[in-house]
Amino acid sequence: MSLAITQGLDNTVERPGERAPLVLGDSTYHSITESVSQIAERPPSKAWVVGLMVSAALASWFGICIAYLIYTGVGVWGNNSPVFWGWPIVNFVFWVGIGHAGTLISAILYLFRQDWRTSINRAAEAMTIFAVVCAATFPGIHVGRAWLAFWLAPYPSLNLWVWPQFRSPLLWDVFAVSTYGTVSLLFWYMGMIPDLATFRDRSRNKWRRMAYGILSLGWSGSSRHWMRYEKAYALLAALAAPLVLSVHTIVSFDFAVSQVPGWHTTIFPPYFVAGAIFSGFAMVLTLMVPARSIFSLEKLITVRHLDNMCKIILATGTIVGLAYGTEFFIAWYGQVTEEKFAFINRAFGPYWWAYWTMITCNVISPQLFWFKANRTIPWRIVVISIFVNIGMWFERFVIVITSLSRDYLPSSWAYFSPTWVDWSMLIGSFGLFFTLFLLFCRFMPVINMAEVKATLAGQLHHSQHGDI
Amino acid sequence: MSEHTHKLKPADDPSFQLPASLAALAVPLGIGGAALLLVGILLGLFVLSDGDVGGKRFTMSAYLTGFMYCFTISLGCLFFVLIQHLCRAGWSVVVRRVAEMMMIAIPALGLLFIPVLVTAWSDSGTLYPWSNPGYADAHGVPAGVWAEKLRYLSSDWFTVRSVVYLVLLSAIAIYYFQLSRRQDETGEITLTERMQARSGPAVIAFSLITSFAAFDWLMSLAPMWFSTMFGVYIFAGSVLTAHAAIAVGVYLLQSRGAIRDEVTVEHYHDLGKLLFGFVTFWTYIAFSQFVLIWYGNIPEETHWYYTRLLGSWGPVSYLLIFFHWLFPFLGLLSRHIRRKPALVFAWSVYLLLVHFVDLAWIVMPEASTNFGGAVGVATALLVTLGMVGLYVGGILWFMRAKQVRVLPVRDPRLPESLAFENI
Amino acid sequence: MTDTQEKKLHGVYAEFDAVDTLLAACRRVRDAGYTRTDAYTPFPVHGIEKALGIRPTALPWIVLGCGLTGSAIGICMQVWMNGINYPYIISGKPFYSIPAFIPVTFELTILLSAFGAFFGMLALNRLPKFSNPVFTSPRFDRATDDKFFLYIDASDPRFDHNGVTRLLGDIGGTEIQDVYEDNSSTRVPTAIKVAFGVLAFLAIVPLLAVARMRVTNSPNPRFHVFYDMDFSPAKGPQTTSTLFADGRAMRPDVPGTVAVGQFDEDPNFYTGVDLDELARRDQTRAVHLVRTMQVPEAEAAPASGDQPAAETPWLAKNPRPVSLALLERGRMQFEIYCATCHGNDGRGRGLVTARAQQILSSAWVQPSSLHQETLYQDVYPDGKLFSVISNGIRKMGGYGSQISVRDRWAVVAYVRALQLSQNAALEDLPVNRRNDLSRRKAEVEQQLAEQAEAERRRAEEAAGTTTAPAAEEAAPAPAETPAEAAAPAPVTPEQPAATEPAPAPATEAAPAEPAPAADAEMEAAATPAAEPAPATEPAPATEPAPATEPEPATEPAPAAEPAPAPASEPEPTPSPEPAPATEPAPEPAPATEPEPAAEPEPEPAPATEPQPETEPASEPEADAEPAEEPAAAS
Repeated sequence: MSLAITQGLDNTVERPGERAPLVLGDSTYHSITESVSQIAERPPSKAWVVGLMVSAALASWFGICIAYLIYTGVGVWGNNSPVFWGWPIVNFVFWVGIGHAGTLISAILYLFRQDWRTSINRAAEAMTIFAVVCAATFPGIHVGRAWLAFWLAPYPSLNLWVWPQFRSPLLWDVFAVSTYGTVSLLFWYMGMIPDLATFRDRSRNKWRRMAYGILSLGWSGSSRHWMRYEKAYALLAALAAPLVLSVHTIVSFDFAVSQVPGWHTTIFPPYFVAGAIFSGFAMVLTLMVPARSIFSLEKLITVRHLDNMCKIILATGTIVGLAYGTEFFIAWYGQVTEEKFAFINRAFGPYWWAYWTMITCNVISPQLFWFKANRTIPWRIVVISIFVNIGMWFERFVIVITSLSRDYLPSSWAYFSPTWVDWSMLIGSFGLFFTLFLLFCRFMPVINMAEVKATLAGQLHHSQHGDI
Repeated sequence: MSEHTHKLKPADDPSFQLPASLAALAVPLGIGGAALLLVGILLGLFVLSDGDVGGKRFTMSAYLTGFMYCFTISLGCLFFVLIQHLCRAGWSVVVRRVAEMMMIAIPALGLLFIPVLVTAWSDSGTLYPWSNPGYADAHGVPAGVWAEKLRYLSSDWFTVRSVVYLVLLSAIAIYYFQLSRRQDETGEITLTERMQARSGPAVIAFSLITSFAAFDWLMSLAPMWFSTMFGVYIFAGSVLTAHAAIAVGVYLLQSRGAIRDEVTVEHYHDLGKLLFGFVTFWTYIAFSQFVLIWYGNIPEETHWYYTRLLGSWGPVSYLLIFFHWLFPFLGLLSRHIRRKPALVFAWSVYLLLVHFVDLAWIVMPEASTNFGGAVGVATALLVTLGMVGLYVGGILWFMRAKQVRVLPVRDPRLPESLAFENI
Repeated sequence: MTDTQEKKLHGVYAEFDAVDTLLAACRRVRDAGYTRTDAYTPFPVHGIEKALGIRPTALPWIVLGCGLTGSAIGICMQVWMNGINYPYIISGKPFYSIPAFIPVTFELTILLSAFGAFFGMLALNRLPKFSNPVFTSPRFDRATDDKFFLYIDASDPRFDHNGVTRLLGDIGGTEIQDVYEDNSSTRVPTAIKVAFGVLAFLAIVPLLAVARMRVTNSPNPRFHVFYDMDFSPAKGPQTTSTLFADGRAMRPDVPGTVAVGQFDEDPNFYTGVDLDELARRDQTRAVHLVRTMQVPEAEAAPASGDQPAAETPWLAKNPRPVSLALLERGRMQFEIYCATCHGNDGRGRGLVTARAQQILSSAWVQPSSLHQETLYQDVYPDGKLFSVISNGIRKMGGYGSQISVRDRWAVVAYVRALQLSQNAALEDLPVNRRNDLSRRKAEVEQQLAEQAEAERRRAEEAAGTTTAPAAEEAAPAPAETPAEAAAPAPVTPEQPAATEPAPAPATEAAPAEPAPAADAEMEAAATPAAEPAPATEPAPATEPAPATEPEPATEPAPAAEPAPAPASEPEPTPSPEPAPATEPAPEPAPATEPEPAAEPEPEPAPATEPQPETEPASEPEADAEPAEEPAAAS
C-alpha cells in the first residue's frame, strides 16, 4: 500500500471537474521554502555522504580509464572491424537520451500548462545537464587525439586550411549537443536565479551569502523583473521544445543517413525522441523517488507527480514498441534481403540475448504501468524504471552492434566483445552522473520554490473561490 | 478571477444549437457536392486524354486524394478527441464537439471508400499498381520478391484490412460520440471517466490503424517503395488539418450566432498555438523523411521523391517548403495574431488549402508526372470540392437530424474551459 | 559608515501577506496615478502587470532578431565554407547541400535565440545588480520567501512621503518602511579581488601561452607525448616487412582477383590474341597466356624445345567498333601515355627524345616511328600492337597497368588513324574535300608556275641560260605527285599536326594540310633561300613550308611529308637547317629522302623523288628539307 496514501497524502484521484491539489499537506509558502532550503543548509545526511563517496570513487575510476585510453589508444576498447562503433556511441546516445526528460518536463510540459511539473523540473533539468556532460565525454575521447577536438569547430585555421565537413551528421551532433547543453544550462540557471536569491536571503554565513549573492545576480523579486523573466522563460521553453526534438533527431541521423541495414530507416527521428523521453523519465523517477524520501519532500513531489510520470513512461514506451513493430513490418514489406536479415538476426542471431532483454524491458515492463498500484507504490516504480533504463541501453546496443556485426559483406562479419575498459567507462559514467547530482542536491535548490509557490497560490485561489 | 464573463447558460439555450443558416446548407451542400464530384469524375474519365488507363488512373487518384482529404480531417479530429480525454484537458471542452462532429463522419466516409476498393479489385492496376499482375514483369521486379509482396498487397487482404480499419475507427468514433451526446442529456460524470479510461487503448488502436491505413492506401501506390515514417507523416498532416478544421468550424458557428460567449479569444489562442506546433511538427516529419532518403541516396527509395521532382511536380515540391512551412510558421509565430480569431480563421483556411496540395503531391504523381493540364487540375479540384461538399453537407444534415448541440453542455470540465485563461 | 550624513530617501514599501491583498493594493496604487511603482514577490503573480500598469516587454523581438541572425549565420557559414571557399565532394552530395545544412542552421537559430532570451532578459532587467537599496532592510529578505511587498519610488512625480505612507496603510499594507540609499562601503573584499584575479589569470594566460606556442618556431625537437601516435608502427606503402616471406609490407592480390570492371568473358579482348587459334597451334602457350592474365607473376612459359614457336595468331581487327568517340578516346590516351616518346605525330620525336638529344644522351634509342611500313595493319595486326602497348617491346615498357584494356584498344585504333593520316590516297578523302584540294592544288600550281617562271627569268637574266623548260616541267610534274602524296603531309607540327589527323580519319587531315601547306609554300616560294629555316619554325606553317619545298611540283600537302618530319621538331631543327641549305639539291634530296622515309614515312620517299629533278629553283629549300631530314633522322 502506498505510504503516501496511508498518510492521507493521496492526490492521484482527480474527479472530472475538479483538479487535484499538487502541493499537499498544509503547505504554506514558507513551509515550501523551509523544506527545500534545509536540504542545502543542514549538514548532509549519512546517506548522502556514502552516496557521494561511492559515486566519486566511480567517477575517479572513470577519469583514470579516460587517461589510460588517451595514453594507450582507442584500441583498449572492443571496437574493431566491423563493429567500429561500439560502446562509446551506445553510451553517448544513452546519456543524451536521458537528458531529454529534463527539457521535456521544463519546456514541453510548461507549454502544455501542466502545473505538476513545478516540483520536479529543477532536479530534472539538473539531471539533463549532468547527463549531457556524461554524454559529451564519449565523443570527446573517442576521437583518439582528444586534445584536438577543437578542430571540429568552424574556426579559420592557419594550420589545417580546411573547414569542418558540415554534411556529416557527426558534425551536426557537435552543434546539436553543444547547443542543447548550452541552452539547458541557461534554462536551468535562469530558473534557479530566484531560488538562489532565496538562499542568499536565508544565508547566515558571509561567504555563503556572497556566493549565492553572486549567483543570483542581485535578484530582488521585482514584478517588473518577473514580467521579463516570465517572458524569457516562456520563450526559452518555446525554443527548448523543438531543440530537444532536434537533438535526438540529429543523433538518430548518425545512423539513419547511412545505408546500413537496420539503421537506414526513416522512422528513426521520432522513434529516438520517444525513446529518449522514455529513458529520461525512467531516470528521473529512479532519482526522484529515493530523493523525495531522503529529503522529506513528499508533500511537494507527491504521488500524483509520480503517477503522471509513470503514465508518460507508459505512453512513450508504447510508442517505442509501435516503432519496433513498424520497423519489423516494413523490413518484411520492403523485401530488401539485407534489411529482412538484419531484423531476423537481431532476434535470433548471436546477440539474441540483447534483443530479448530490450523487448522485455522496453515493451513489456512499462505495460505494468497500466495498473495503478505499480504507478503509486514507490519501490515498484523504481524497479520498473531501472528495468526501463536497462532496456533503453540495450536498445542502443542492439541497434549499433547487431547491425554492424552483420552487415552487407558476410566475410566481414565478426562478434563484438566489450573490454574491461568499456565496462569501466559505462559504470564510471554513472559515477560521474551521480556525483554531480549529489553535489547539486547539496548546494543548489532541488525544487523550483518560486514555481511551486505559484502553483500553491493557484491552488489556494481555486479552493477559496470555488470552481470557476 | 477570470476576465471573461462565463455565466453558464442553460443546456437548451438556442445558441448551443446548430444555427439555422448552417443547417439549411446541409442539403444544398450535399447535392452540390455530389454533383461536383460526379462532374469531376466524368471530366477525368472522358475528357482527360491520357490514354485508357491514364485517364482512369488520374481520375481514381483524384478521387483518392479527395477521399483522403476528408478522411484525414476526420482522423485528426478523432485523435483530437481521444487526446483531450487522455490528458484530462480542460481548455478544449468548448471546441471538442466541433471535432466530434467531424469525427463521426468516418462511418459515412467508409461508404465513399467503396469505389477505391472496387478499383483495387480490377486487374489493370488502375489505381494500385500491384493489382496489375503484369506489374512485376513490366518493372523488372524479381519474381520471388513480388510473390512475397503479393501476400500482403492482394486485393482480398487489402479489402479485409481496409474494412477492419474503417470498422474499428468507426466503432471508436461512434463510442466517443455517443457517450459525449449522452452526457449532454444526463451530465453523468462516469461517462467522462469511462471515456478517459478507454482513451489509452483507443489511442494505441488509432496509431496502429492510421499507420497501416497509410501504408495500404497511400504508400502502396508505389508498391516497391517503403518508408517506416510514412504513417507518422500522414498522421502529422491529419492532425494539423484537423485543428485547422476545428478552428474554421468554430469560427463559422460563431459567425452565425452560436457559442459566441463560450469560445473566447483564449481558445483561439490555444488553437493557434497548436496549429503553429503542428505546422512545425509536420515540417519536422516531412523533412526527416526526405533528408534520410536524400542522404542515403538508395535508388529504390529515392525514386518516390524523384517522381515528385519531375515535370510539373518539381515546383510544387519546392512550393510546399514555402507554403506549407515557412509562411504559416512565420504567420502563426506571434501571440498577437493567435489572439485574433479572424486571423486564426484565415490561417486555418489557408492550411486547409495547403493540405490539399500536400495530399495531391503524395497521391497524384504516381498517376502522372504533370497535372494533366487544365482538365487534370479541374478534375482534381472538382472531385475534392465535391467530396468536401458531401462531407460538410453530410455532417450538417446529421447534426440537424439528430439535434446535436454544438457544445458539450453538461461536460464536467465545461466551467473550467469557459473560465480558461492563457498564459 | 555614514550615519552622520543625510541618507537620501529612495522610496517606501509596504508588506502584504497574500496575493489577493497585494493585487487589490496594486490596483489602488495604479488608480491613484503612481507610475514608479513595483511589487516584490517570491513568485510571479498572475495579473500583476495589469494591476500595476507594467507595459509588456520587447524581449520577443530581440529573440526573433537573434534567431534570424542565427539562421543566416548558419546557412551562410556552411554554404561558404563547404560550397564556395573549399568545395569538395562528399559522398556525391552537391556543393550546396541545403538539406544537409539544415540541422546546423536550426541549432544555431535556437542557440542564438536562447542567448537573446537569456542575456536580453538580464540586460532589460539591468541585472546583475548586486547593490539594491531595498536590500538594506532585513525584513525584505522575506520577499523571496513568503511575503509580498509593494514599493513606491521617491522619483515618482506624485511622490509625497506622507501621502504615500498613508495610502499604503489604507490599502492594507503592514510594516510600512522607508527605503534609503545604501551608503555602505562599496569596497570589494580582498579575497574576492584575489579570487577574481586568479581566475582571470587562469583563464587567459595559459591560452595565451598556447597561442604563442602555436605561432612560434622552436629550435628544440618536438616533444612527443604519445610517441607511437606520432610515429605509427603501421607500415606505409613500399616498405619492408619481416612478417612475410617476400619481405614486402604491401600484399599482392589474391590469385584470381579480378578488379571491378576489369573482367570480360572474352580473353581475346584482354590479350589481343585469337586464343582459340593459338590453342590449336600451341596448347601450352595458350594455357600459359590465359594463366598470366590471372596471375601476373606467372612463370615464363616453358621452353618449347627446338621447334620454332608457332606464329602467334594475333587479332587482326580491333574488337571495339571504331567510331569518332573511340578515336577521340584513343587520342587522349595516346597523348597522355605515348606521345611523350613517340611524339604527337607518332614519328618518334617526342619530348623525351628531344630532351635526350639536348643532353646528348648516348644511351637513348629513338622510339619507333609508327609510320613505318612494317607497322602497318596488314603486316602488324592490331592484336600485336595491343600486346606491345600492354607488355612493352624492346626498350619500351608495358602500359598494361596504366591503361585499361578498353582504352588500349582505343589507342590501337588511333594509331591506325595516325598511320592512315600519313598514308592516305586522294580517293580516301571525301568528295568535297577532294574537289577543294584539287582546286587549291591548281591554284598553288599556278602560283608556283608563275614563281618558277619568274625565277627562270631571273636566272636567265643572270645566267643567260634557259631554265624555263625546267620550270615548266616542274609545273606539270607537281600535278602527279600531289595525287599520290595527297595523304600524310602535315603530321609534323606538334599540335596542329596532331590535331589534324586525330579528330578524323587521316583523310580530313590531308585536306587541312594542303591549305597551310599551300600558304606556307607561297611563303616558301616567295623567299627561296631564306625560307627553309624560318619556314620550318612555325608549327602549322612550318609543316607545309618544308613539306612543300622539296616539291613545288608535287606540291599540295602530301608532298610536305619529308619536310614535316624535320619541321616537327622545333628546337633541334633550326641548327641543321643552314647546313642542308648549302647542299646541292637534287642529290641529297632523293638521297636523304629515303633515310627519313625509312623511319617515318614510306610514302614520301617516292613522292619526293621527282621533286629535286623538277625543282631547280626551289633547290635550296628542297635541300633544306632533305638535309634537315637526315639531320633529324640522326
